[in-house]
Amino acid sequence: MAALNVERKKQFLELMSQRGWDALLFYGDTWRKDHFRCLVNVCFHGPQAAALLTREGEIRAVVTHPWDLEPVQAAIGGPVTYARELTRGLTGMLRDMRSAVVAVNGLEQMEARFAQAVEAAAGAAPVSATANVEEIRRVKTPEEIEWIRRAADLADRGYEHFVRVARPGMTEFELVAEVEGFLKAHGAEDNFMLVASGGTEVTAMKPPTDRKLQVGDSVITELTPQVNGYYAQICRTLVLGKPSEKQLRSYAIFAEAQQAAQDLLRPGVDIADVARVQNDVFRRHGFGEYTGPQYTRVRGHNLGLYPDEFPHVLENVHYTCRKDMVIICHPNTYLPLAGYMVFGDTLLVTETGCVSLNRTEKRLFQA
Amino acid sequence: MKRGLVRWDRSELPPEELDARIAAAHALAHERDVDAVVVYSDVWRSNDARYLSNYMPYWNRAFVVAPRGEKPILLCALSPRVYPWIRTVTVHETIVASPNPAASLLKLCAERGWSRIGSVDLDGLPVDLHSTLTAGNVELLDFPRNELRPAPTDVEVRMHARAAAMARKALDEELPAARNRMTDHELTGRLELRLRSAGAEDVVVLVSNGEGPPAPARGAAVGPSTSVVVAVEHNGHWAKVARNAAGATADRSTHTGVTELRELLSGPCSWEVLDDTTKPAVVARLFEIDAGGRRLHFGETCLQGSEGLRVL
Repeated sequence: MAALNVERKKQFLELMSQRGWDALLFYGDTWRKDHFRCLVNVCFHGPQAAALLTREGEIRAVVTHPWDLEPVQAAIGGPVTYARELTRGLTGMLRDMRSAVVAVNGLEQMEARFAQAVEAAAGAAPVSATANVEEIRRVKTPEEIEWIRRAADLADRGYEHFVRVARPGMTEFELVAEVEGFLKAHGAEDNFMLVASGGTEVTAMKPPTDRKLQVGDSVITELTPQVNGYYAQICRTLVLGKPSEKQLRSYAIFAEAQQAAQDLLRPGVDIADVARVQNDVFRRHGFGEYTGPQYTRVRGHNLGLYPDEFPHVLENVHYTCRKDMVIICHPNTYLPLAGYMVFGDTLLVTETGCVSLNRTEKRLFQA
Repeated sequence: MKRGLVRWDRSELPPEELDARIAAAHALAHERDVDAVVVYSDVWRSNDARYLSNYMPYWNRAFVVAPRGEKPILLCALSPRVYPWIRTVTVHETIVASPNPAASLLKLCAERGWSRIGSVDLDGLPVDLHSTLTAGNVELLDFPRNELRPAPTDVEVRMHARAAAMARKALDEELPAARNRMTDHELTGRLELRLRSAGAEDVVVLVSNGEGPPAPARGAAVGPSTSVVVAVEHNGHWAKVARNAAGATADRSTHTGVTELRELLSGPCSWEVLDDTTKPAVVARLFEIDAGGRRLHFGETCLQGSEGLRVL
């Protein structure tokens, strides 16, 4: 895919026309590069980058690190300015935008001083385009799906490596280092990864600690490699040694819940129901109380240029699923049987249902 | 994203050091007559909060609130399920679940009867938090960052130096071994494995093939014109080091076309380009060397002050 997302550009121009926006600014910082990369897919070094799309279809950009100048210039083929301070860069970029209606994708994340600079240049406070742009981004283009497929393939291989190297006596952070090294060596641009190990005392995943893995541990992880900007995720649980009765029983509930989501997910389905069918499995097994916020966060979420896109899969979130959305369904939660457990696949919504982009076996892994 | 070892090693960051920083925040609150000093934190802009309480997010936003005469309170958008872990690596005893940290801060102000608070770099807050706070009925004062964090302390400098040593050692050993034998992806993987196994909190590797600026690896072969930039975060303290396979340094007697870039490593977020070459700070001093049309990179992490630079 070219670094400039031409299909998205067309959609953004239509959005601008519908909304009466004269210019649409894509603001990214080092945490939320996705707000910029959905138009100009360059992994900028940072700390910030902004691209302006005008109603006429012109793109101009400002970067705050000199190393970003050439790649962004190559991507947009238009004017790119380096400004050490983004405030100054925005003022220059918007110099001919007096009295224009400027919308900002990523406004909420923008430092207030940058929004003030936009306001000073345009003569009016910018409006947020974030929700509208997210709505467009939710349905992936064929090229985006291809990148997510590659990321899912890497997630599978990364998990295979996770199982291969995990062993008693190894610390959690050594295990993560192994997986990070593997993913980067095989082309991942970045990776979002959480982990935990132990038994019923484990109530959540977090960054790795120096805890040493022990026989009998459930070792849980979500791997989220990024390829050319796009993330795919896999969640699996590994037991070191022979799984206990309770670990097996717990896993069976998670597998049933994930399958229920996968069986339901298709165009036209309310995302709330995708959450509900997962939670219903826990309820049927007498663990309904463990589907709430005290024990878990979400039953899945959208994926794309950000690893935790909206909509979240929750019973109180209503959103009608559409073809070519990519959603991870993961009924991850704490259960008193064997502690926090995770299980999930990246699912592509097709015309009639969904397919998993992961090929990792659906089972409780052992090492 | 931060996914390495987040910890509080009390031998390198003694509790007394954090006590002194908190006491300085209390003194600032007293001097400026505010009820509390507030510091914003997110995945990337985490350094100021880390300075005050050793809080390091792996995700999401937070405010570290230092009320006068009290230990800092954490208003945190992360799940309460990870608060026991946060307590083990920070000074925080009180953590308030805060899906919207700005709303939580206003609620805290109301509960405590606070009318004036000082926010470090007020206009640096994200728009949504800034607008929520400014719409509240609490007077907000802007505290410039250098009032909270003046020159880097010896403890900070030592931790940056440790990060720099990790980066240097990894590059000096891995880059020669990779030349003509690996792709830049494979080299990046080796560096990640090595540094994270050594306890790095975060690692960023950029590569140049001699034709362009450093960027994430693209699968190219590591050759004689390859330069590698490694940024390592060790317990909240970044270092950045650059080396090239040709072995070129920034020695201007052998290369005439040498340009320098200086980045701030001890700021609120890392690698902001710095123009001020005298301000006390930990910086990355990065050189681009024109070697017969090839663009090579070399760089070190340095302590910058009015008396010049010292390589860490």
